[in-house]
Amino acid sequence: MNGGQAGEHQADAMQVVMIGLGEEKFALDAGLVREIIDPVPVTKVAGARSFVPSVINVRGNVIPLADLRIRFGMPQTENSADTRIVVIEIEIDNEPVLVGVTADKVYEVTEISQTDVQQTPRVGMHWKPEFIRFITKWREEFVIVPNMERILN
Amino acid sequence: MSAMDPTEVFRQEASELFEVLEGALLDLGQRPDDRELVDSAFRALHTIKGSGAMFGFDKVASFTHEFETAFDRVRKGEIKPTQELISVALAAKDYIRALIEEPQTTDDIIGEGILDDLKRFVSSDQPASPVAEITEAPSLAPGERKQAGWHLHLEFESHILRNGSNPLDLLEDLCKLGPCFVVPITDGVPFLDEMEPEDCYLKWDVKLHAACDKDAIDDVFMFVQDEMKLTLSPLEHVEAPPAPLFQLLDEEPVPAAMVEMPAPAVEVAPALVVEEPAPKSEIKREAPPVVRREEAKREERGIATVRVQAERLDELMDRVGELVIAQARLTQLASAGSDLSIKMIAEEIERLASSLRDTTMGARMVPIGSLFGRFRRLVHDLSRDLSKPVEFVTSGEDTELDKTMIECLADPLVHLIRNAIDHGIEDSATRAANGKTEQGRIELAAVHSGAQVLVTVKDNGGGLNTARIRAKAEEQGLIAAGAAHSDHEVHQFLFHPGFSTAQTISALSGRGVGMDVVKRTIENMRGSIDLSTQPGQGTTVTLRLPLTLAIIEGLLIRVGEGRYIIPLSAVEECVELTAEDERSRGRNFLNVRGNLVPFLRLRELMTASGRPDKHQKTIIISTGETRVGLVADQIIGNHQTVIKSLSKLHSDVTIFSGATILGDGTAALILDVAQLVAMAQSKVEKHHISEAA
Repeated sequence: MNGGQAGEHQADAMQVVMIGLGEEKFALDAGLVREIIDPVPVTKVAGARSFVPSVINVRGNVIPLADLRIRFGMPQTENSADTRIVVIEIEIDNEPVLVGVTADKVYEVTEISQTDVQQTPRVGMHWKPEFIRFITKWREEFVIVPNMERILN
Repeated sequence: MSAMDPTEVFRQEASELFEVLEGALLDLGQRPDDRELVDSAFRALHTIKGSGAMFGFDKVASFTHEFETAFDRVRKGEIKPTQELISVALAAKDYIRALIEEPQTTDDIIGEGILDDLKRFVSSDQPASPVAEITEAPSLAPGERKQAGWHLHLEFESHILRNGSNPLDLLEDLCKLGPCFVVPITDGVPFLDEMEPEDCYLKWDVKLHAACDKDAIDDVFMFVQDEMKLTLSPLEHVEAPPAPLFQLLDEEPVPAAMVEMPAPAVEVAPALVVEEPAPKSEIKREAPPVVRREEAKREERGIATVRVQAERLDELMDRVGELVIAQARLTQLASAGSDLSIKMIAEEIERLASSLRDTTMGARMVPIGSLFGRFRRLVHDLSRDLSKPVEFVTSGEDTELDKTMIECLADPLVHLIRNAIDHGIEDSATRAANGKTEQGRIELAAVHSGAQVLVTVKDNGGGLNTARIRAKAEEQGLIAAGAAHSDHEVHQFLFHPGFSTAQTISALSGRGVGMDVVKRTIENMRGSIDLSTQPGQGTTVTLRLPLTLAIIEGLLIRVGEGRYIIPLSAVEECVELTAEDERSRGRNFLNVRGNLVPFLRLRELMTASGRPDKHQKTIIISTGETRVGLVADQIIGNHQTVIKSLSKLHSDVTIFSGATILGDGTAALILDVAQLVAMAQSKVEKHHISEAA
């Protein structure tokens, strides 16, 4: 990376953790991510909303485990060798809350450009537009930057 | 661990409240239309006033009361909070802070200047005074104050009392001109046998710290001019008051205004002695030597206790939790092997881990008695001020609660107890008329109930006036006139901000700030509040508080694949579900030694997968009189349960009160006994209805 480019990048670049869910790639703002852990035994919570079906123990804290696949209407898959739990911290009612998010695969921590932002298309998508902050391009692929606060509220 | 100096607790609490107040006032400058900000400023003021009175900061309480009264029009939306008003309000806040933090360096005159400004702003709908005057207000302070004031020497004719003149009234009038420091001169008082009961022997020395005209002072003594000698001289500087007198005053907790009545004065006018302290005790009371003594005390305490941030204790507890789990694994491994020395180390670590856990727990848990003790004084003072004799009974003092929760509980309980005395308990005459004991009774109790602690404030007063609450709610447009609402629903309006049915605003209550603060605070603790009332019999307010952090004895059970904890305190017995019970599927009643007990199948509630175990077990739980059976696959055994609260994302789940971490590191959910019982009850009712149909 040469100097000129780096300066250019800093203005609109965003540090993200790239994760895979089903066929799609999602970019989670790296600022939200606390840690990435291997799958742990989950405890089902009867009566909870479908996208936060269970809780897990992360370092002595019992935290909810969210399933974005349910929120995005994707089929659920069995855990594989690549499955990870990404622990993020979001604000709910002005209080920080730790939430685990299941990812089918965690690719890497990378930078995405916010200049390539694509307008979220209104049609041709079965996802609620408010769940998506924006869609951008990364290595010639479309990636979704989800709005975690909205998704989990 | 000794309890903290209550005054110090108040100071710390107040400094937090000042931050809230200041923030709210400043934000209000930016967004003058934000009602939430006005409310939050008001709540902070109200709490400062309440706690101030409780810890004997009478000046703070009376000034804050004035401030609140002036500010009330802003709250009612009658006037807009202008920038000028906010700067005065901020000055007022600084003054209250000074009163609390360094009372010896503040002067009442500053407070009065602020109050005058405040009143001027709120009395006229248009901010009448230009900015110039506001900037003048603070400058009233040190510089000018030095010249402002009079030194008065009062000598009355000895027969003055026979004419019906009362020197104390005159002194009181004088006090209205500004803060006074009154010293009686008792030199002229003769021995008892020579004393003429109707003669006045006292003289007075008065230092009046106010920049008033000589005429104003003359006016006070207009009617007795001929029967007294009045020497007036301007006060050059604010003199340090004679220390010995102050010490005397402070050792004997005489209300400030009683200064004018030392013992020999009894003969002067017996009727006067019963007189209550002057409404605003402007007479200076701050005693520099005493303050210094307090500071010394505080330093001593600083060594004995350390204030630790709650988050650090939380972190410590989490680490200990992890350690205990890791240690359990180690013990398991060691017992499987044959290495004796490893077994010894494992045992040693087990012992250390469990004592570390107890210590950490102990650091956080405080018996609620330390909190209850604080209210005795409050009840005593209130009962005296309102002349309602009240008996105060507490129970369950040794119920342990998380320290942070105890601190959060203080304010709500102050409000509830004040309400109970001010509104709940009737005056003696009414009580007597209703055939009740003259003395009212307030019970403050704490009790463990499953995974919750119930704190109740119960009075035996007149109960809530549902009709009046309803009328008020209609008047405020909260409900449509004549709409059908149950009494219980109507009572909920008491928690609405700004809702008060009191006809007059007293120093104690009536502004309607209290109950919404209470509700908010309790809900922030993930607790709930409930009111129940019986007309003529009294009102009970129940606070249900979760044990955010506590160890309970639990019963570990298995339902399908999942494991759950039932608080052992709620478990009555465990029985096997017989084939006969099993057959009566539709009925869902269990025959326990002749009693019908409704039961819930946990497999259905938890939507458990897989085949049920052949021999289903029933755990009979109870809350009070109600018994309910829970059907599970297996009873695993006792489990020391460290309670972890569920996150906000699961706040809609009602059947669990929390979670815990099991020995193998997985999370298990704790069943909410009260909810399950209520659920079973409603099923029973439905069952009855369908049977009746």
